[in-house]
Amino acid sequence: MSNFNSQSTPRSRPQSKPLSKPLYKNRNRSLAQGHFNRIAVCAKWLLLCLLIIPVAAGVIGVFLPAMGYFPAIGANQFDFRVFAALFDVAGIHTMMWLSLFTGVVATVIAALFAFVLLSVFYRSQMLSRLQIVLSPFLVLPHAGAAIALVFLLSPSGFFARLFTFNSSAIASANEGVFLFDSYGISIILALVLKETPFVLLMAISVMSQPLIREKINGYFKAGTALGYSPIAIFFKLVLPIVFPQIRLPLLAVLVFAVSNVEIPLILGPNDPSTLAVAVLHWFNHIDLSMRLQASSAAVVQVGIAVFAIIVMLAVEKGFTFYGKKWLQRGKRHVTDKAISAIAYLLLIAYVVLVVSAIYTLVAFSFAKQWTFPNIIPADVTMVHWNTVLDAVLTPLSNTVLLGVSVSFSALVLVLLTLESEPLNTGKTRASLLLPTALFLPLLVPGVAFLYGLVWFQQLILKDAVWFHVYVAHMVYVIPYVYLSLAVAYRKFDNRYVMVALSLGKSPMGVFFLVKLPLLIGPILVAFALGLAISFSQYLPTLLTTGGAISTVTTEAVALAAGSSARLSAAYVVIQAVMPLCGFGLAWWLSNILFKPSTTKISTNKSSTGKSVRSV
Amino acid sequence: MAFVRLACLTILIIAGSAYADSLVNGSDNPIAGPVVNPQTNPKTDANPVVRFHAWGGSAQVNSYLKWVADRVERKHGIALKHVKLADTSDAVSRVLAEKAADNLHNGSVDLIWINGENFAAMKKNALLAKGWVGDIANFALTNPDSNSAMVTDFGEPTLGMEAPWGKASMVFYYRKSHFDSYNKPVPQTIHALLQFSQQQPGRFTYPVVTDYLGISFIKYAAIALNSSNQSLFYKPVTQNALEKITPSLWTYLDALHPTMWRNGEYMVRQASQLQRLIGSGELSLAFSFTAAEIPSAVERFDLPRDVRTFAMSDGSLANVHFIGLTFNSPNQAAAKTVVNFLLSPKAQAKKQRLQVWGDDTVLDTNLLSPSQKSMFETQQSHPSALDKSQSTPLYAEPHASWTDALRQAWEERYGARY
Amino acid sequence: MALTLRELEIFKGSALLLSLDVTVDEGEILTVMGPSGSGKSTLLQAIAGHLDTPFSFSGSISIDGTNLASQPPHRRGVGVMFQDALLFEHMTVEQNIMFAMPSAKYQTKSRKREAVAKLLHAVELDEMQHRVVTTLSGGQQSRISLLRTLAAEPQAVLLDEPFSKLDTALRQHIREWTFTQLRERNIPALLVTHDSADAVSAGGQAIELSSC
Repeated sequence: MSNFNSQSTPRSRPQSKPLSKPLYKNRNRSLAQGHFNRIAVCAKWLLLCLLIIPVAAGVIGVFLPAMGYFPAIGANQFDFRVFAALFDVAGIHTMMWLSLFTGVVATVIAALFAFVLLSVFYRSQMLSRLQIVLSPFLVLPHAGAAIALVFLLSPSGFFARLFTFNSSAIASANEGVFLFDSYGISIILALVLKETPFVLLMAISVMSQPLIREKINGYFKAGTALGYSPIAIFFKLVLPIVFPQIRLPLLAVLVFAVSNVEIPLILGPNDPSTLAVAVLHWFNHIDLSMRLQASSAAVVQVGIAVFAIIVMLAVEKGFTFYGKKWLQRGKRHVTDKAISAIAYLLLIAYVVLVVSAIYTLVAFSFAKQWTFPNIIPADVTMVHWNTVLDAVLTPLSNTVLLGVSVSFSALVLVLLTLESEPLNTGKTRASLLLPTALFLPLLVPGVAFLYGLVWFQQLILKDAVWFHVYVAHMVYVIPYVYLSLAVAYRKFDNRYVMVALSLGKSPMGVFFLVKLPLLIGPILVAFALGLAISFSQYLPTLLTTGGAISTVTTEAVALAAGSSARLSAAYVVIQAVMPLCGFGLAWWLSNILFKPSTTKISTNKSSTGKSVRSV
Repeated sequence: MAFVRLACLTILIIAGSAYADSLVNGSDNPIAGPVVNPQTNPKTDANPVVRFHAWGGSAQVNSYLKWVADRVERKHGIALKHVKLADTSDAVSRVLAEKAADNLHNGSVDLIWINGENFAAMKKNALLAKGWVGDIANFALTNPDSNSAMVTDFGEPTLGMEAPWGKASMVFYYRKSHFDSYNKPVPQTIHALLQFSQQQPGRFTYPVVTDYLGISFIKYAAIALNSSNQSLFYKPVTQNALEKITPSLWTYLDALHPTMWRNGEYMVRQASQLQRLIGSGELSLAFSFTAAEIPSAVERFDLPRDVRTFAMSDGSLANVHFIGLTFNSPNQAAAKTVVNFLLSPKAQAKKQRLQVWGDDTVLDTNLLSPSQKSMFETQQSHPSALDKSQSTPLYAEPHASWTDALRQAWEERYGARY
Repeated sequence: MALTLRELEIFKGSALLLSLDVTVDEGEILTVMGPSGSGKSTLLQAIAGHLDTPFSFSGSISIDGTNLASQPPHRRGVGVMFQDALLFEHMTVEQNIMFAMPSAKYQTKSRKREAVAKLLHAVELDEMQHRVVTTLSGGQQSRISLLRTLAAEPQAVLLDEPFSKLDTALRQHIREWTFTQLRERNIPALLVTHDSADAVSAGGQAIELSSC
């Protein structure tokens, strides 16, 4: 290195900016992006509005009646009498307790199960197989999962049939402890079944982010060198990194668990029910003045959600506190064998549940006579499917039309929002608002804000039912599409964009010609996820349309209490198949779209290169 | 995202069949004469849409209404849309909300399937168009002048706000194989029912009283247990009257509840679940307001072949169900055309067929021509069907005010079960 | 063509990261060396227009007197190459190079095709046009990547440790070849590297940045 000709090698680090010189920073960026950036920024604000306005309007619309203001029935005095009346309702405290208890316990168990599964499988080939086993319950709407559980666990259900050996036995009537029990065990069971895969998936997607993955790999090596077992490393080193990243999704699960309607409606107790079910009942009550009580109960429901969050954070603190002591003790193994045993038992339980549920539902949808305790139907018929296919066409096309338009527009907005500001950088107002806004619809119980939203919708654009249901779905779909795509964006190698820009392509050109094709896999998955979320919406659809637009899920819930087990089973099958079709389509399209055309290649043997894109 | 890796399923791709939400034309149709054919060319854009809000929990009813929709589309160019309700009161509160919001001409509900307290509520709040039933040509076939049941709904005069559609009475049904193995007779009275439930706990239940069939069971029990005070039920309820009839009812239910399915702690939310539980074999005995749904459920394999239907010997609750036309329906002429079709001998005969729905006709068959009459005489017997040759006493529905009173009293005593 | 950095100071937040005053003449390859965190890559990002918060700069960056700072990245005519070839996997070799060609210059697709064939021929990569890029070897990818950069006809090229992922034997070969291509076209280039052999081979000025 003889020819060093260094002009300047500064060693000082001035604390203040040299004010006299022009600084190129933000100006630089806005110049760089031009029209495309302006569109993207507009999209970001539109997205924020779509998240915030419906929820805020909904909360106001439910808060006013709760405070006694409801001009439609001549109530326009602000006071707390409505709340006083609510707390006089018989069984109200049991309802509140039931909501809180089932939600918190289910969320804690689901999280623990997910961590136990991860701790055992996080570094094994089994992880992907595990995801496959869990995916049916992941994509199945909550209502579908609850109905499936009824088919399996009722005293005349599949498991009872399996263990009844006397062929002339009569199904027991009172022995089944798992359904409709007044402690809410059945609700907890259904929620755990449904949320464990979700928590697991969130954790896996966090762990696969490049920076975190590197860190985990490093910790794993270090931990192994110190003699810690893989399971101990997970709980002592990996979980502390991962947990803060999934805290918000976990709280969203919690809020859903304390306030959801469909699961307690299908298999919960009714002496009394959970608060959310009572809210639904009161809102739909023929006597309009019951809306005051319903609104106050909805506000209480928000309070329960907030309290549940506090409890959850306290539980987390407790774990952290004991965790620290536990870390210092330096045991190289946790109860590894027990944890492995639990993990394998869980895995087996899921396999058994998935297989039995698929068998029972499919068999029921084709069954002729199928009396207890036979485990196969006497004969099969297409009559139920004929009935269903005849009736399902409208709900199905509604569902698909709604799902596709919602998911597609959510996707466009989310992509533009992600484009508007490179991740982890900007500190603009919108980007600070975004993380909060994303979780807003997930952290405010649906039963609370949806009714208020409907109230506003009745005031403006009363007849635009499709628009209202579209907005309500967007509120729930955007966060998931965003979270799913943000992961892909974080993994995306931005140097591709730099290279493409440097080659002289405009930002919009780069977005369409480089970024979209390279991210097509995750984009299609996000689209399919959006579809699945839209498919599964029950309360938002029911409330905003007043039943005028039926979807497969609203029909399925209506039929869950209907007279025909067979039709109900067929609807659950459709509910399960639809999101799978979405993901299947995503998988297939991502394999054929934007592949270099291979038609001209005759000389080249290995023409189909394996793509190493992140999915 | 591992689920994308799942095997690609045989995909039913739904060609985005464009669902055009039928926007209502805002014009306030003047009430036309008897039944006019509002459209001669069904292909024009102005195809009137009639939204029929009706309980949608029965596959038979739903497919019957689908057939009706096909017919009125073809014959009259009317697009009949069945809005399937889980609970009829949803639609009632919708109309009420519209009225509160001053929507007087452009409501979202045209026709509504109601009776009893829903009708009473709509009547009280003036949510129904008045006196339109006289315009319906086929209404005369119900012989309203000599058949007061066609113009009285749970003791309330209908005042031409709703047209009768069908008749129903409460029947019980049971699993014969269960009773064979219990070696017990099937209960024929309200008292025998309690005895049975005490001897075979868990084999009987009734829906919560917010459900139509649930409150009907309470009415049946109340009437049957107070045979000496029956006249009280046909006048508006008073505190006095209520206090007279409840003691025996509570004594009965206090004894019955602990012996019911799930010890009476959980009661089904909807009547349709009873049928499901009979089908699965958890219940041995249940009841229904539509006798015809039993054999047809057997034919559809939802109920096993050993199901038998009967009527209680101490009396069956019976009523007529109606179709109301809302005060703010923007499509009154088309809606009336639909109602006229529903009351036609052809539609009524189809509805009465066991394979279709089995709902008894409201037409007075004596007023029909022989060929029309013959359409009603194609019933075959089914082992699970009600033997209609047996005559049982019928209890008319108590005055509508009793429904709320009994429900409130029940909920106060046993808790509101949502 | 000459790339001039005049009183260039790059800040991280309010802290000065580096300052520089240098002109890279046409055909010259300026080498910038320094430990990790000394701001080598940040310097390239400033020139290419990819600087993100919390970084900012003052001073001027110009090519032949045209100030680049006022231009968005895609109008600067500054090519960038990284240690990975970063070929677009959804395109063939030919499509990758055609993607870079200025549309104004080649009116038709067939003209572009001919140009691609010529470029490939000149570097003995004939018949590569329709290959899927993921099937290429590391050395081939590096060369296609440079061809792609050159096809855009940049006024300057920035090289961010472009050879560090190649094995030793290949590295020398590709390096010589790259530098030759740049010199032949009289393009000023700025090379960031860890490897002092790169600097020697580049033969231009060299700057060592200190760690901060």
